[in-house]
Amino acid sequence: MGIRYLKKHAALEDIVTVEDAETLLDWLKKQKKPAVNLGRCQHLHAAVLQVLLAVRPAIVGDVPDPWLRKALGCPEA
Amino acid sequence: MNQTELLDQFILEARDCLEQAGQRLLEVEKNPDDKERLNDLFRMVHTLKGNCGLFEFKALETVVHAGEDLLDRVRNGTLGYNDVIADALLEAMDFTAQMVDEIEKTGQIAVEAAPRSQALSSRLRALLEPGATVSTPRAPVSAPAAPLPEAATASPLPSPEPVPPWVDALPPDWRSSPSTAVAWRYSPEPECFFKGEDPWLLARQVPGLLHLKSGTQAPWADLSTLDCYRCNLAFAGISSAPVAYLHEHFRYVPEQVEFFELSNLPDKAAATSMQATVGSPANAAMSSAEVADTATASPDERAQAVRELIFLRTLQIWEDQLIILGRPSPQPGVIQACRLAFKNLLHTLQELELPVSLQAQSSLAAINSVGALVSWAQTHRPSLDHPVASADTVSAAGGGPLTPDNSRRGGGGADDGAGHNKVLKVGQEKIDRLMDLIGEMVVAKNALPYLAQRAESVFQQRELAREIKAQYAVINRIAEDMQHAIMQVRMMPVGTVFQRFGRLVRDISKKLGKDVQLVVEGEDTEADKNVIEALADPLIHILRNSLDHGIELPEVRRAAGKPEQGTIKVVAHQESDRVFIEISDDGAGVNPTRVRDKAVERGLIPADKAATLSDAEAVQLIFLPGFSTAESISDLSGRGVGMDVVRTAVERINGHVDLQSTQGKGTRIRLSLPLSMAVTNVMIIEAGNRRFGVPMDLIVETVRVHADDIHHFKQARTTVLRGRIVPLRALHDLLALDESPLTNEDGEHAVLVVRLGSENVGLLVDHFHGATDIILKPLEGVLSGLTGFAGTALMGDGGVLMILNPKELV
Amino acid sequence: MSRILVVDDAATVRMYHRKILGDAGWQTEEAINGLEALEKVHNQPADQPFDLFVVDINMPKMDGYAFVRELRRYTAAHQAPVMMVSTEAQRQDTFAAWEAGANCYLVKPARPQELVLAASLLLGDAQAAVKAAEGVKQ
Repeated sequence: MGIRYLKKHAALEDIVTVEDAETLLDWLKKQKKPAVNLGRCQHLHAAVLQVLLAVRPAIVGDVPDPWLRKALGCPEA
Repeated sequence: MNQTELLDQFILEARDCLEQAGQRLLEVEKNPDDKERLNDLFRMVHTLKGNCGLFEFKALETVVHAGEDLLDRVRNGTLGYNDVIADALLEAMDFTAQMVDEIEKTGQIAVEAAPRSQALSSRLRALLEPGATVSTPRAPVSAPAAPLPEAATASPLPSPEPVPPWVDALPPDWRSSPSTAVAWRYSPEPECFFKGEDPWLLARQVPGLLHLKSGTQAPWADLSTLDCYRCNLAFAGISSAPVAYLHEHFRYVPEQVEFFELSNLPDKAAATSMQATVGSPANAAMSSAEVADTATASPDERAQAVRELIFLRTLQIWEDQLIILGRPSPQPGVIQACRLAFKNLLHTLQELELPVSLQAQSSLAAINSVGALVSWAQTHRPSLDHPVASADTVSAAGGGPLTPDNSRRGGGGADDGAGHNKVLKVGQEKIDRLMDLIGEMVVAKNALPYLAQRAESVFQQRELAREIKAQYAVINRIAEDMQHAIMQVRMMPVGTVFQRFGRLVRDISKKLGKDVQLVVEGEDTEADKNVIEALADPLIHILRNSLDHGIELPEVRRAAGKPEQGTIKVVAHQESDRVFIEISDDGAGVNPTRVRDKAVERGLIPADKAATLSDAEAVQLIFLPGFSTAESISDLSGRGVGMDVVRTAVERINGHVDLQSTQGKGTRIRLSLPLSMAVTNVMIIEAGNRRFGVPMDLIVETVRVHADDIHHFKQARTTVLRGRIVPLRALHDLLALDESPLTNEDGEHAVLVVRLGSENVGLLVDHFHGATDIILKPLEGVLSGLTGFAGTALMGDGGVLMILNPKELV
Repeated sequence: MSRILVVDDAATVRMYHRKILGDAGWQTEEAINGLEALEKVHNQPADQPFDLFVVDINMPKMDGYAFVRELRRYTAAHQAPVMMVSTEAQRQDTFAAWEAGANCYLVKPARPQELVLAASLLLGDAQAAVKAAEGVKQ
């Protein structure tokens, strides 16, 4: 549940709430090559979406939710 | 039955309609205000039109349709009947009769009939609005052979509302959405997060969503100054749901949303009814894609097109169900039907090896509430991105929890009629062993945080500690998933217990000379095997009570104005992590006065206390041990088994019993049970240098109370929390520990407030420690009689934790 | 074997629907209005309930909407999906159908194989769905 910060990317899983947005932003800002994995993400709060759209980190793996995929501008699978 | 028979039937009914319509027409001419005859006339023509449509007798249909529209206006009073109309209608009917004759001879209508048909229908339509031509979007597309242009669509409609710039700015491919769709734009206000809103969730969940895009209201600030809690997002989309539904969806933020109905776009206004042939709204966006010319395609391409069509239609029907379920308060029948629809849709997808989410089918079985069904449907919506479901591969679609429905046991489990789910028979001991192992794993993993702690504090290994914690998180997740998976395996439908009730009710009611019907609902609701097994006896006892003392003899019921047949209803349903079973009857109910008297008589409660109880409270006395109101303890219930035994049995499996009764009307008993039994979340507290666990779901709050705020009155201690008086008991006293409760350096006591029944009680302890998951092992052997403890648990550091049962202590 | 109840006041339409659904391999029965349909539901054997309802809207005595509403209230019945088939092509009619509790709305005259396809999907009959889809793609 929430965000797990791994070595090469942040894994957003299950439900990511509004409180996680700031931590994520701070973490992504510090990375040389910011990247996130949304493979197990069921839903993220709008604030978190904002962070992803502003920072535009690399997306590792699949994005299961088609609407989120489109919002992030990922190419169609 | 073949085409000729159908055609014969058509001719028969058409002639019948014409004859009746003709008669009505003449009658209406004499009495233009005769509503009934007018309606009759309309119905005849309407039926005729419907029948024509089945055979694609376009020329005929055009005329009849025009007649129907005319008659519709006449019958609802917006058009006055006169002989001009009458003449036109009569001529139309003559034409129709001729056409029917021709159909009888040749089986179809000659192409030459088309011009006459056009002329007639224009004439009829002209009468709708004398003096002007009218466009009717409902007019069917004219037969391809007709040389004349379609007369029905004529002058341009009155100019639609001006198109806002944001609609013009929408992606061009969105404009091919059906003209019935609605475009919307949502610009959340910057402070919305602080109001607890989640605009992304709201946008994503718009009913009938066909397209969605997100953007920004202003360009993104530089990352160094970005305020992620100030909303800068903007959303736009196209939805197939009606505008009213959209207004409802956005009802809390109306000033932040704009709508535009696509029918107001200039190019959409004169849309033909290509979309009307299959009415599902979400459909027509795709119709255009459908027009692909399959005549020259190869067999493979054809097969692919067929699969695509099936997938498309499935998706459309899926979306429609979601809209239906999104309506306020759907009837249970609606939910059941939608659920069956989903099940069948899924089945076809799986059979044809079209993409479908792996856990979809198994997780559907457990769902009973509309909310759960909606989120299930949204999660498992068919999408081309799901891996193709096949019986052998367990594909790594995000590595979700294993759902071994093959090892589901009998009793109404995973059948879908196609026999496609493989079923394994597994011995119970194997499942129990697996369960134990997983249980041990759940506990063993708890040692890791402790080790991490030691690594850091004792061995100064901060890096190592961090890595251990990270790995713990991974193992924790896997352990939880395994736990859920094994719980699924152990889940059985409650129907397995309910099965014997039918027989029980029948036999006992016969024996007692009573007429009782048993109604059972929700037999598919699932619960853990242990819970089900523990339930059997209490449920049977409750039923016996109902039969014995609840439902009255038929004569008694008759005298009371009740139907002679009594009803006992057993309903099971699941909500979040609990299962609810309700047994209700329409019998005599519990007599509060008798209960009061009996309780006093048996010395269970002092007389003056009994007198102060309300009727509802008095009824609860039957839960006291040693209680029985039966005059004679029949051999059916009684034998000293009372409701207290039921309550104890249910509470032993962490459930609750609730009883409500109205004298003369009936009784309702509600059982609330946990879905899974094994893992409990407890808070660890310390008293007298010893640690104990308290089940988390009993805890109301933890608070520090200054010694000065504790009021002493004789032996009792109380304090005031949130404006209420809370009695305090020192855990040390309750457990007969030598020590007294400690205070911290500020002179405050640690108080754990727990909920017992309907009251809160504060337990004075020394320290609070953290919360943790444990496997609760009930006390066994010599210790099983010990009160005050729910059981023991093995801790990560190897120690044993005693888990308290505060109810028994206080 | 799936059982379908066709409800329509026009005899020709009843025959037509029973033909195309029967050709798809299902058992059909008919009722001439909502009231008769409800009676048939009430009397259906418990082990052989109707699996699908194909219902017209405009019928005397009890129209399609009223029938579906009553059906969905009738908790003793097996709740099967309802396909409303009507000549009305307005959006409101689709919504009214959904509000009443119908699962699918088709406008008459639906291309027959589209109707059979929708029925196949609601019945979970994959074979019939393929045949119907092939018929549509002709």
